[in-house]
Amino acid sequence: MLLQLNNIFKWVQQGGKRVFLLKDINLQVEEGEFISVMGPSGSGKSTLLNVLGMLDGFDEGEYHFMDESVHSLKEKHRAELYKQYIGFVFQAYHLIDELTVYENLEMPLLYKKIKGSERKALVADMLDRFSIVGKKDLFPTQLSGGQQQLVGVARALITKPKLILADEPTGNLNSKQGEEIMELFKKLNQDGVTIIQVTHSEKNAEYGSRIIHLLDGRKVEG
Amino acid sequence: MLKSYLKIGWRNLLKDKTFTALNIIGLSMAFGAAILLSMAAFFDLSFDNFHENGGHLFQVYTEQQYVEGPEAGTSQPTPFAHALKDEVPGVERISRVLEDGVLALHGENEIGIDALWVDSDFFEMFTFPVEKGSTDSFSQDLGTVVITPQAASKLFGTEDAVGETFRLLIGGEEKPFTVSAVTETQPQNTSLGFEMAIRFENNPEYLSTKEQWNAQYHEVYVQLQKAVSVAQFERNTQAFITQHYQEVIDRAKRDGAQADADGYFRSIKLLPISDIHFTNFKRGFANVVRTYPYFILGIAFLIIFIASVNFINMNMAKSASRLKEIGMRKALGARTQQLFYQFWSESFLIFTGALVIGIALSVSLLGSFKSIYRTGATLEVLLTPMTLVGGIFLVLVITVLVGGYPAILLSRFGTVQSLQGKLLTNGKNHVRNILMILQFSMAILLISGTLVFIGQIDYMRNKDLGYDKEQVISFPMNGKKDSYAALGLLRQELKGQPTIINVSAADSNLGTGRDGSQSSSAIGFDYKGRIVGTNFLVVDHQYIQTLGIQMVQGRSFESWADSTGVLINETMVKALQEKDPLSAQLDITGEFPSPVLGVVKDYHFQDLDRTIQPLTFFMSHDLALTYAYVKVAPGDMAKSFDLVAEAWSKIEPNAEFLGSYLDENMDRTFRREKETASLIASGSVIAIVLSCIGLFAMSMLVVTQRTKEIGIRKVVGAKVGTIALMLTKDFLKLVLYGFLIATPIAWWFLKQWLDNYANRISIHPGFFMAAGALVLLIAILTVGYKTIKAATQNPVKSLRTE
Repeated sequence: MLLQLNNIFKWVQQGGKRVFLLKDINLQVEEGEFISVMGPSGSGKSTLLNVLGMLDGFDEGEYHFMDESVHSLKEKHRAELYKQYIGFVFQAYHLIDELTVYENLEMPLLYKKIKGSERKALVADMLDRFSIVGKKDLFPTQLSGGQQQLVGVARALITKPKLILADEPTGNLNSKQGEEIMELFKKLNQDGVTIIQVTHSEKNAEYGSRIIHLLDGRKVEG
Repeated sequence: MLKSYLKIGWRNLLKDKTFTALNIIGLSMAFGAAILLSMAAFFDLSFDNFHENGGHLFQVYTEQQYVEGPEAGTSQPTPFAHALKDEVPGVERISRVLEDGVLALHGENEIGIDALWVDSDFFEMFTFPVEKGSTDSFSQDLGTVVITPQAASKLFGTEDAVGETFRLLIGGEEKPFTVSAVTETQPQNTSLGFEMAIRFENNPEYLSTKEQWNAQYHEVYVQLQKAVSVAQFERNTQAFITQHYQEVIDRAKRDGAQADADGYFRSIKLLPISDIHFTNFKRGFANVVRTYPYFILGIAFLIIFIASVNFINMNMAKSASRLKEIGMRKALGARTQQLFYQFWSESFLIFTGALVIGIALSVSLLGSFKSIYRTGATLEVLLTPMTLVGGIFLVLVITVLVGGYPAILLSRFGTVQSLQGKLLTNGKNHVRNILMILQFSMAILLISGTLVFIGQIDYMRNKDLGYDKEQVISFPMNGKKDSYAALGLLRQELKGQPTIINVSAADSNLGTGRDGSQSSSAIGFDYKGRIVGTNFLVVDHQYIQTLGIQMVQGRSFESWADSTGVLINETMVKALQEKDPLSAQLDITGEFPSPVLGVVKDYHFQDLDRTIQPLTFFMSHDLALTYAYVKVAPGDMAKSFDLVAEAWSKIEPNAEFLGSYLDENMDRTFRREKETASLIASGSVIAIVLSCIGLFAMSMLVVTQRTKEIGIRKVVGAKVGTIALMLTKDFLKLVLYGFLIATPIAWWFLKQWLDNYANRISIHPGFFMAAGALVLLIAILTVGYKTIKAATQNPVKSLRTE
């Protein structure tokens, strides 16, 4: 088992009342799964993804990730953990505009303190794999949305994560570009990477092996 | 990693060129200005700090209690120094020092030399390194002198002057001397500057006053033994005082003077050599005032502060737009610490870059700075461990503040929120506002300071001094001839010239002439059972008319026949407590009583920071006149000036004519004030420019941040004026707060400063209103440009950007 959520609650205080963002979420994810999270706006999809990615905390419940109890870990160890095993792909790509494609790919490796020669090899490998060698010296703004997201996925993969968390990865793309990205995910999943994606599109959700439906912070199906 | 940080830092700088340029120009300018100002200040503070025995060197001064209060002075009588060394334990070395010009003759050369008349220990006490020759023979042989290379080349045409013989005109006689040593070029930061050092025993005063304890005319410097403390030494001098000054003390007691806090009527005190440059005795005690250099340092600090505030504010605002990047980095595994390093290294880069530009700027401007503000400042004076450590500390603190801010921000908001990247735009930014308020208050502080300084200088310059300063030329009678003979010849030469109205002379100058010297003589005498102190002035009988001083009672000197009588001023009448001053007989010299012929109206015969003192005028052929005064007709005064110069060069062909009009002399006496005022003025200009840069950048950012709001407001019908006002109002409020903070502080400081002047302007609220109005106006203009531009934009365009 890769991760397990037990009775996760997350809320904010609004006018003295608790507004639940996540309500009693239980979830088990095995290695190699491809899960799609669906639900209307405000149902807690992104929040769930952020909690899974340890970018955001929660108020109650337990979170186990590969034998580690995330809820009892300190911030620093949590960062170590997700740095090691989790890659993120965002709807708005979130590439750093001031860095070239090459440098954007290199950045996570810098934070993992990987040596220069190895870094070079890894980045070259990734550029090759995604066929973007020719674009390595361009800045994100010089790329199309699809290409940017390609770089985003490459960046998420470069640290060889076990889990990829994708928050509407095709939301800003046209259908052809979106399809390419989804095909890429499918291939990655076949190579053994666990993927959890949030999506609005039924079509994209179909790529997954399992679909989870959320409504008002509750898991209603899957 | 660092490379990556710097790379992204660099690209961020290039991305917004206006912003970066404003940032770096502001900072570099501030650094350049602050470095120059601190050079000037540290140069001033470094006065007399180069003597190896510095910690043990002191100037001796005396405090005497009179009925009117204490009086302090550094003048000592001839036998004082040796007696002090013999009778009071603890003196390692001692030297009398008299600063007095002397005429040196070598072949055809006749040159006025600034001489120091000193004792044999002088060169062992003070560190004036010798370049050629040795000071050994100076301490053994009265007939040798030590000379500076500059004076040597003036007199002998070569700096290699050891062994050269020449003559000095001493007491009207030419005496032969030999050069025993040539010093290195003197440091500029010395209070004991000289062109030539001559043994004290050669001074004309020396022989006539060898055993006299009542003729005080020179200073005394001591080097204490290492184990002796100042307090200990000062206590030990009481026996010495009782021995030599009993009479003075008895008289003080008889007149009803109050003893000082230690119960003494007279005490001998030591002033550390490093304090001499900053000390005045005007209030009856040694008052060490280092206000000016600290004032200037303060301005340098203010400028750096204002620029740093700009830097912090601008970068804080910028980091808001980089929140997404921060969030992203965090999602990719960056720790807060690493983010901190990233932002810190970035600001460090800009800061040090600006510092380097600032240093380059200050070095390139140093030459003109030195000549404009007359300072001997060099970059070296800043290279002390203290200033270096201080500078590094400052750079670190500010860059840490700037770099640390985004990191702190992040730890507060967490990754997810920062990825959404819209945090800083909502809510009030208190830190920014407080910093800007401080910035404005400093600008207002500096401007009001400048205004008051200029006001005071203007007041002093235009004050009616009680004599005619516009039409009178004064010059030192610096030749070989006897002064009365020279004065006679001068009258002869100028006779018949229609533009010359009057010619006279006295034994001191008014204001500071081109020879740079100022002197006054004072004496105390018994009058009806009390001691009365008075300044005295030896004059020629036409002095009062020449200077246009008014008589209030009696008559002026009319001819030499009046030399048995004296004239006094109104303050002297008060000091004598005499209802009918014309009946008074003053026995000043102790030889014969002199009748008071007349009373002159009080005039400012001393600097304007002093109140008018009692003054008595004498005529006596025994006392030399030193300055000639020529009153000229209004009209072509430059031509009259040339006429006088020509006449003097006929009388003393080898002497340099150092004449100037008295109003110029007066201007010279507050040169220091003028220099400080111009420093403060330039400081405030820079402060204003910097504040404007900051303001401009902030308005730029605020307008960008509120683009959407502006668009919406316009769509629902707001007018351009309303929007511009709304945007400007927030900044103007800050100016107002700044004004409220600055005014009381400025008022307090300026009051302190003005209290140093007996003749001063009163602080008018107008000064502060003017400063505040000026800053307000500048703020409106700066902010208005951006806001009106934003307000006039098509709302469709501004809404589209969201």
